[in-house]
Amino acid sequence: MDFPNRIPVFLLSGFLGSGKSTLLNAFLNDPGVRDTAVVINEFGDVPVDHLLVRKGETTISQVSTGCLCCSDTTDIRKTLDDLQSAAQAGLTAGFTRVIVEMSGLGDPAPLVNALSPEKTGTGQVKGNTSAPEYYLAGVVTLFDVVEGASSLENHFEALKQIAFADRIVVTKTDVARELEGPQDFGLLSQELRALNTSADIIDRREVAFSSLFSPRPYAVVDQGEDVVGWLALEAAMAHEAGHDTRSEEPQGESRHGAGIRTFSIVSETPLSEERFHRFLALLQNSAGQRLLRVKGIIASRDRPEEPLIVHAVQHSVSDPVRLAQWPDSDRRTRLVFITNGIDPDPVRELFTAVVDTSPISLTAFLKKAGPAFVGLILRSVSNLTRPSRRSQ
Amino acid sequence: MSKFHNPLAPKFGRLKNKSSEIKAWVRELLNLPDDTPVTVAELACRDEGCPDIETVIGVLEPGKPIATFRVHLTMVEVTRASVAEAVG
Repeated sequence: MDFPNRIPVFLLSGFLGSGKSTLLNAFLNDPGVRDTAVVINEFGDVPVDHLLVRKGETTISQVSTGCLCCSDTTDIRKTLDDLQSAAQAGLTAGFTRVIVEMSGLGDPAPLVNALSPEKTGTGQVKGNTSAPEYYLAGVVTLFDVVEGASSLENHFEALKQIAFADRIVVTKTDVARELEGPQDFGLLSQELRALNTSADIIDRREVAFSSLFSPRPYAVVDQGEDVVGWLALEAAMAHEAGHDTRSEEPQGESRHGAGIRTFSIVSETPLSEERFHRFLALLQNSAGQRLLRVKGIIASRDRPEEPLIVHAVQHSVSDPVRLAQWPDSDRRTRLVFITNGIDPDPVRELFTAVVDTSPISLTAFLKKAGPAFVGLILRSVSNLTRPSRRSQ
Repeated sequence: MSKFHNPLAPKFGRLKNKSSEIKAWVRELLNLPDDTPVTVAELACRDEGCPDIETVIGVLEPGKPIATFRVHLTMVEVTRASVAEAVG
């Protein structure tokens, strides 16, 4: 494979559950799209997102050791080099464009710094001596109209993701009660414009993919004073960390604070879908906004050859999507949770009590679980059972 | 969105406005000209015993290395007094 001398790299960002994988899938399924390599970065120890993106001719590189933004910036250069080496060896398809799907908690600043002209002095990121030069050709950020305002209010990463974008795509406009017409979209655009004065703001339903992932000049000075300042601050902090002998912990463990954590549940046996949904409802009602994200693939007891893809974002649960077949040879249920201030153990015990045992052993779980969590669960059960009593 | 105003609805600009407020305090306390870039970000703190999140302030005076100040509070918790303590 002959590589062009310069390969554009696009960052695809957006807070947890804003629809990045869905948009990426739609883009990659466009018959006119070819020669694209995708780097998927997940904040989780059991990778799931790469299963949700069409493979086909697309080269997928999966990075799941925390966020790229939390790792040393050489990680992105190494990843790009690895992609190119695999293609040159004939192991994967060649590519002339790279899309980096960032973690929903990802901070664009380190990656923009890594891909900035100043990094190499030549204008592009250069890996090994025979590698092409990679350059930042655009930052696309998704804004979820249902949960996006809450994310912007509570998570600084969400604010930075919007500020760095040169294209903002407003997602879930088809399901949002908040938007009733073009006038409302105009008001929403005005509010986003206060956070980013230069980006194009586009309704997901009207998006032209060619405008999102076609190379264009991306200049940080166009993104405003905040972005320039954050990049300078990021570089200064990285320099300071490089000379910091007090901590041997990798920065990635702590950039988002100890409250935000990820954990997974893997189950060997196919599940009852009805029980799984009951588990998810209990968890959502008890955890509220502390449950930032749930995503995964479910082995269904009723249709074991056709797994379910499930997504939940804070209070919103998307309709599960049934796949015609398993995307890989791993047939286990794999669930990834991203939470703020929730310990994994009670969640795993709730899963076992509600989903993974027969008959259901919620009573045993409640006896075992701590009083605070039990209180939350009991209130949730009460909330869940009330409508059915009313309907009797 | 246009039908009624919900005073409890999330505010898009809450963190942005807070950032502007902190910048103004820094300029006032350090007696900086209005055109001196000041940047504010929330980052995790690496120091033992500190809160999970801290607010980091950068002052980019022309011709000088960036000066950084840390306030061991989340951005919304930062007060003028805490900024004064950090930059003092």
